[in-house]
Amino acid sequence: MISVRNLNFSYADDQMILQDINLEIEDGQYVAVIGANGSGKTTLIRHFNALLRPASGDVLVNGLSTRYVKSHPEIRRMIGMIFQNPDNQMVGMTVEEDVAFGPGNLGLSSAEIRKRVDEALEKVGLSEYKTRPPHTLSGGQKQLLAIAGVLAMDSRFIVLDEPTSSLDPESRFIVLEQLKQLNQEGIGIIHVTHNMDELANAHRVLVLEKGKLAADGAPGDIFRRVEWLRDLGLAPPKITELIWYLRQKGFDIREGLFSIQQAGDEIISLMNAHRLKAVNM
Amino acid sequence: MYNPYQYVPGSSLVHKLDPRTKIITVIAFSLVIMQVKLISLLAAAAFIVLCSQLSRIPAARLLNTLRPVMPFFIFLFIIYIFFTAGTPLISLGPVQITSEGLAMGVLQVGKFILLVLAASVLTISTSATTLTMGLERLLRPINKLGGSSYDIAMMVTLALRFLPTLLEEMNNINEAQLSRNSNLSSLGLKGKIRSIVYLSLPLTLNFLRCCDELADAMEARCYRHGVRTFLYELHLTPMDYYLIIMVIITTVLCLIYL
Ligand SMILES: Nc1ncnc2c1ncn2[C@@H]1O[C@H](COP(=O)(O)OP(=O)(O)OP(=O)(O)O)[C@@H](O)[C@H]1O
Ligand SMILES: [Mg+2]
Repeated sequence: MISVRNLNFSYADDQMILQDINLEIEDGQYVAVIGANGSGKTTLIRHFNALLRPASGDVLVNGLSTRYVKSHPEIRRMIGMIFQNPDNQMVGMTVEEDVAFGPGNLGLSSAEIRKRVDEALEKVGLSEYKTRPPHTLSGGQKQLLAIAGVLAMDSRFIVLDEPTSSLDPESRFIVLEQLKQLNQEGIGIIHVTHNMDELANAHRVLVLEKGKLAADGAPGDIFRRVEWLRDLGLAPPKITELIWYLRQKGFDIREGLFSIQQAGDEIISLMNAHRLKAVNM
Repeated sequence: MYNPYQYVPGSSLVHKLDPRTKIITVIAFSLVIMQVKLISLLAAAAFIVLCSQLSRIPAARLLNTLRPVMPFFIFLFIIYIFFTAGTPLISLGPVQITSEGLAMGVLQVGKFILLVLAASVLTISTSATTLTMGLERLLRPINKLGGSSYDIAMMVTLALRFLPTLLEEMNNINEAQLSRNSNLSSLGLKGKIRSIVYLSLPLTLNFLRCCDELADAMEARCYRHGVRTFLYELHLTPMDYYLIIMVIITTVLCLIYL
């Protein structure tokens, strides 16, 4: 579990970047973090694995405070992090050695490292690339490799900072499916994104505005507030926007839908209802 | 990009040796060869031929490794044959080639050629990973003196890992600039220098940003000073022990008697 209590943070003294953030993230949750450029998303999630430390307040991971350098290895083992640019997070000369980097830093035996590397690569489907130099992989495969590197450390959470922003739609889909699957296996996901259409799998959405936690709730509740989101400079998911538009036009359609299937079914039943009305007249 | 020094997988005797054995042999060879005279140069050459045979690296492939350094060797040779005092062999106007110069040129350039070949047998028969691991193990004594063999190995690994990325980036920037204007050959010297500055500036900035991100990524994956472990472990076989002892004895004898 990650607990954030009264977190304040600034890079330089004059300007507070994060202000009085309070939240708890249970193990196994899939949390999306959204907000306009510069709202503090990256700054917030870097507190979760102690890359940044609070100016005041506390961040606790399974009860360990990020304040103490002694706890950092354990905290970083539990909270794996994946960065935006896949190229600058690969450190091995081959795919398998890259995955072995984390476990090696934990001081595991080479037999144990071997086991974890093989399992992690199997899970993300990169087993056949084991001995390839990592820079020869595609963008999507590079992010899967980064995920494997985290899995090999046996992390409880995977924190991702816009992991799909440089990927083509197909790779993006593969990475998102992978996250969904890992989440179903019990790994918590914390996913920063600008693309609202990627949030279909999230249990919970955090909205940041100028360093404050502006909203924290179920995706359905957050995305219902279309105009408010627009004011924050965020575009709601296309589906939500479509439904919002239909409601504005006076159609009685259910809110809080954001998978294509749900919305499609809703619209079809609406059309059927109209047809019935027309026949009866 | 073709790299003549690159590892070529294989199953020869030399491929199978522990990297430490090979590194020690190359270091010993370079110590000995500095002492060599013209006659014993032949023995050293014979040793290299033996190694290349045992490693089953095709001769053409091995000789290719000399190509990038050839201009330097030619330059060195010219310096020696023209600027060594002694009995003149041929006179070309004001300059003369002396027999001493010729002997010196052959000897010195021969030494360098053999050194490059020895190092090439090492890099062609050993993967970068194993090579770095061997280096790390050989450097472990410095850990007692407050250094860190792990850090050094990490630096080598990162340098090797990021070289292709860096080259790719350089190509990209270069192409972007070419598409904007210039073909380089039409530029004067000044223009060429300026285009190098234009190339190196974004490259440096990108590189610094890349280092920053890399440091974060490494920290996030629990990298820290102190002991770490590896996917592969190195094992010295009886053959390795035997060869290392032979190499050390031979080297000591050569250094005493040559
Ligand atoms: N290293 C730094 N030093 C000083 N200020 C910084 C630093 N990193 C970020 N900031 C500032 O902190 C604020 C929040 O930045 P942050 O990167 O957390 O935002 P973000 O929500 O991740 O934005 P984006 O969507 O662009 O990634 C911004 O005003 C930014 O200028
Ligand atoms: Mg960011």
